[in-house]
Amino acid sequence: MEKKLVERRMRVFLYVVIFIFLVLVSRLVYMQLLQNDRFSTLARENRMRLVTIIAPRGEVYDRNGVKIVGNQPVYTVSLDTVSLASSGQEDTGEVVRRLAAILDMDPQEIQQKVDQQERFYEPVKLATRVPLEIVTRIEEQRMELPGVVIDIEPLREYPNGSLLAQVMGYVRQISPEQLEKNKDKGYKSGDLFGQSGLENTYEQYLRGQDGGRQVEVNTGGMPVRDLGVKEPVPGNNLVLTIDQKVQKAAEDALARASQEALKQGYNEARAGAAVALDVRTGAVLAMASYPGYDPVKLSGYLSQNDYNEIFNSPWKPILNRALLSYVPGSTFKMIVAMAGLEANVITPQDTISDPGYFFLGTRFNDWKPGGHGIVNMVRAIKVSCDTYFYQLGLKVGIDKITRMAEEFGLGGKTGIELPGEDAGVVAGYDAKYQLREDFLSSAAQKKVKEIEQRYNDLLAKAIGDEQRKQLLSKRSDELLAVDWELAWHEYDTIISAIGQGDNRYSMLQLANYVATIANGGTLYKPFLVQRVVDPNGKVIKENNPVVVNYAKVSPKTLAIVREGMREVTLPSDGTAYGFFAGFPPVAAKTGTAEVKDHDNHALIVGFAPYDNPEIAVAVIVEFAGHGGTMAGPVAESMLAAYFGLPDPGIKSISSPE
Amino acid sequence: MLIQSRLFKKLDYTLLASVAMIILLGLIFIYSATKPTELLPVAGSVAKNADPFSDVKRQMLWVFVGFSVMFTVFYLYYEDLMKHVRFLYVINLIMLVAVIKFGISDLGAQRWIEIGGFNFQPSEFSKLILIICFAAFLSSRKKKLDRLRDLLPSFAFFGVPILLILKQPDLGTALVLLAIMFGMLFVSGANPRLLIIIIVTVLVMLSVWIGAHLWLEANRGVTLWMPLKDYQLNRLIIFLDPWQDPTDAGYNVIQSQIAIGQGGFWGRGLFQGSQTHGDFLPIQETDFIFSVVGEELGFIGALTLLTLYFVVIYRCILITINAKDDFGTLITAGIVSMLTFHVLVNVGMTCGIMPVTGIPLPMFSYGGSSMITNLAALGLLLNINMRRQKILF
Repeated sequence: MEKKLVERRMRVFLYVVIFIFLVLVSRLVYMQLLQNDRFSTLARENRMRLVTIIAPRGEVYDRNGVKIVGNQPVYTVSLDTVSLASSGQEDTGEVVRRLAAILDMDPQEIQQKVDQQERFYEPVKLATRVPLEIVTRIEEQRMELPGVVIDIEPLREYPNGSLLAQVMGYVRQISPEQLEKNKDKGYKSGDLFGQSGLENTYEQYLRGQDGGRQVEVNTGGMPVRDLGVKEPVPGNNLVLTIDQKVQKAAEDALARASQEALKQGYNEARAGAAVALDVRTGAVLAMASYPGYDPVKLSGYLSQNDYNEIFNSPWKPILNRALLSYVPGSTFKMIVAMAGLEANVITPQDTISDPGYFFLGTRFNDWKPGGHGIVNMVRAIKVSCDTYFYQLGLKVGIDKITRMAEEFGLGGKTGIELPGEDAGVVAGYDAKYQLREDFLSSAAQKKVKEIEQRYNDLLAKAIGDEQRKQLLSKRSDELLAVDWELAWHEYDTIISAIGQGDNRYSMLQLANYVATIANGGTLYKPFLVQRVVDPNGKVIKENNPVVVNYAKVSPKTLAIVREGMREVTLPSDGTAYGFFAGFPPVAAKTGTAEVKDHDNHALIVGFAPYDNPEIAVAVIVEFAGHGGTMAGPVAESMLAAYFGLPDPGIKSISSPE
Repeated sequence: MLIQSRLFKKLDYTLLASVAMIILLGLIFIYSATKPTELLPVAGSVAKNADPFSDVKRQMLWVFVGFSVMFTVFYLYYEDLMKHVRFLYVINLIMLVAVIKFGISDLGAQRWIEIGGFNFQPSEFSKLILIICFAAFLSSRKKKLDRLRDLLPSFAFFGVPILLILKQPDLGTALVLLAIMFGMLFVSGANPRLLIIIIVTVLVMLSVWIGAHLWLEANRGVTLWMPLKDYQLNRLIIFLDPWQDPTDAGYNVIQSQIAIGQGGFWGRGLFQGSQTHGDFLPIQETDFIFSVVGEELGFIGALTLLTLYFVVIYRCILITINAKDDFGTLITAGIVSMLTFHVLVNVGMTCGIMPVTGIPLPMFSYGGSSMITNLAALGLLLNINMRRQKILF
């Protein structure tokens, strides 16, 4: 080859090389100098993740500082789908399968959760309360599990197990409806929200402010550097009025009572409720509902099994039975007694002779065949004489009984800070009419409506009481013509006077009514939360006693009724005699409420000490027979716990009523 | 000794120094690329205690081996190689066949042979061997290369090894061999118009072929026969629009461009690249190591590295011109073609203007076979340079 040729060719070659390098350099200029902002943004999106630090919810303590609900840091496993997709892993299904195997989940379930995620760029939470050994296994396989993120978040823990479960309620992820309603309060999907009980009522206090952590992550979504942390602010703590000792005594005793009743052949005796109030303030000392459930099962992952057990079992452990209304039976008799005394239709000294029944068109039996003989008011309460109250009820009339019941808060919501409270029913004309109306045929319903309309107009124009009375009785006649049961009859008054008929009250209402008798007529609004305290210990809300009503009852009347209740626990034939031995003097009233086609409910209400009352209780054991026998031990255990006495346990005292 | 000292006087120190700097920078960036990223501990986790220097140490071993080979080659009379080209050519073919028969697979290709615990990549050595053989071939024939017919023997010469390499498959190296062939033909006096026509024709035909294949697949559900598997084809053309498949085929290209682009003028600082240390960059110590330079040392760093390569190539061109015989001229022409093509395709790939073919950045990327081949080539260059003229001693 000629030297010149080579030189020429290599010169051309050099030009080509220069051209190539110019192209490369201009590309670099374009990318690094002109498009630097764009690529920097892309890089930031690549590596920056805002990780939410979930704030712990406020804790809950009883009146003595015993922790009822706390928080426990648990591991959660989430899948960061963006990281998984960009990790270069060819088969993302393989990662899901591998993770599913470790978590003991169905791969399809994971896929489903991923598909349901609304904000696709946020990690999908797959499991909470993940045990350390599983966390360790994931950590060991981190390289094969790109996009799998392990976090720590605080979940509810319950140092006292199922104690107070229904009152506290539970916390779960906010539902779409709740989210819609609370959007302006800064909730976002996936946040926790109090679903029932105090967790729900005090949601705004209990919930903390989530913090955040800006982290740099690697391609697997694993954090490699902290860029900044906003610390979470824990929620506010609640100090309850509940006394953990009384609460525990109530729950344990209810369980024992149910077992005992089952043993005695009451096959449906599987539920019950108990309430204790401070008669001087309305503060709730205990509110128990049996059966209970383990609330830990409701925080974190909820298996179908657990769900069915808590929500769908025939005994519905999720219900707070202290707020459900039941037939009160004889626990109602003090209302009738007070109505009689206040209406001056009877004096405490007046007596009747009880042959064991009362006859008015038909025979109304006393619970005791052969009767109680000569009884006055105190004795009638002591032995729970039905015949006495049949007659007294008729004498007083249902309207006055209804009004007296309402004076003591019966038939209306107490206003306690819990959702789902029953208002109950006070037997009377209006209640009966409303209850029966629903069962009429549609033709009859139409007729009734027409009559209502007509008389309402007339009544509005009526002048004077006399004219009104006439109109009312005329209306009553017309309604009677449509259906006999639409009108109030004397036998309605008779059975209502012993707490049967349409009467329905919750244990909370019964306890509050007894508390009002005990404290001299002041009806308080029951409350569960004494104060709300922020994480630094500053009190931000204090609940003071709220008086709802001063019952229009003379002190003398109340004293008579209290004396009757005191007698109930005394020899020789008080219906709750035998309980409360060695206690400060206790006053009580048993109830055995008849339920159609079932065994009777067992009830007891009471207060103590008799001469200077502090605490009132109301107990029901469903379908468990005699009130004294089955509900008495529960009240006894609760009072023992309150007064610091040893728990008397189960006694085989057979109480007749 | 006398001869030696004279020889050293004629060493191309500019070339040597540039190469040394490239290798040194390479070691630093291999360290950066392979340094394990420490994860923030999630309570209870333990960081892995891997030796962050393990890859750098290995590469240093290869550099040492490479320099040994370089000095060996340097002391030979390169003219003597002429006598062994037939043997070399056959050895090369045997190695390539052996790779197909007994090779080790990784990343979807079978390119490696294991010898004594180390993996060698025969296709790397192929390049230099073929340069030497082809230089001998051309210089001994001394025929005119004006018509297509004149070029056919050359095509046959390269065709056999290229087909074997495509079988692995290693498209990148096959393309490098083509570049070497055309470069050497050009320098040896082949009709430049003819060469350009051939290259353009082949490129146009390939484009039409691929275009038709894709169009038919998308619109008619049928495909033309292709020597490439679908994923290979995808990888080859994805650089045209990586965002159409940002998580799969386009991922490498996008992440590499993000790395270089966010580097800006000064870079994010050595060992500070988030793309590199967050492992977003794929195979960052080998094919995509230039992206690490772009991210961590920015435009300044990338420009410096390119300048070093330019100096190397420029010195090679001078050596080519000054070589004392056709054999030497053609060898250096082959080497300079190889280097240029490597730099163009590798850097072009990392910044998204060249298809992803997976060829390393010479003397910079992690990898022993490539380092040894390049340093052996450097030895040849220095050898040829040293004996450039019939100068009086």
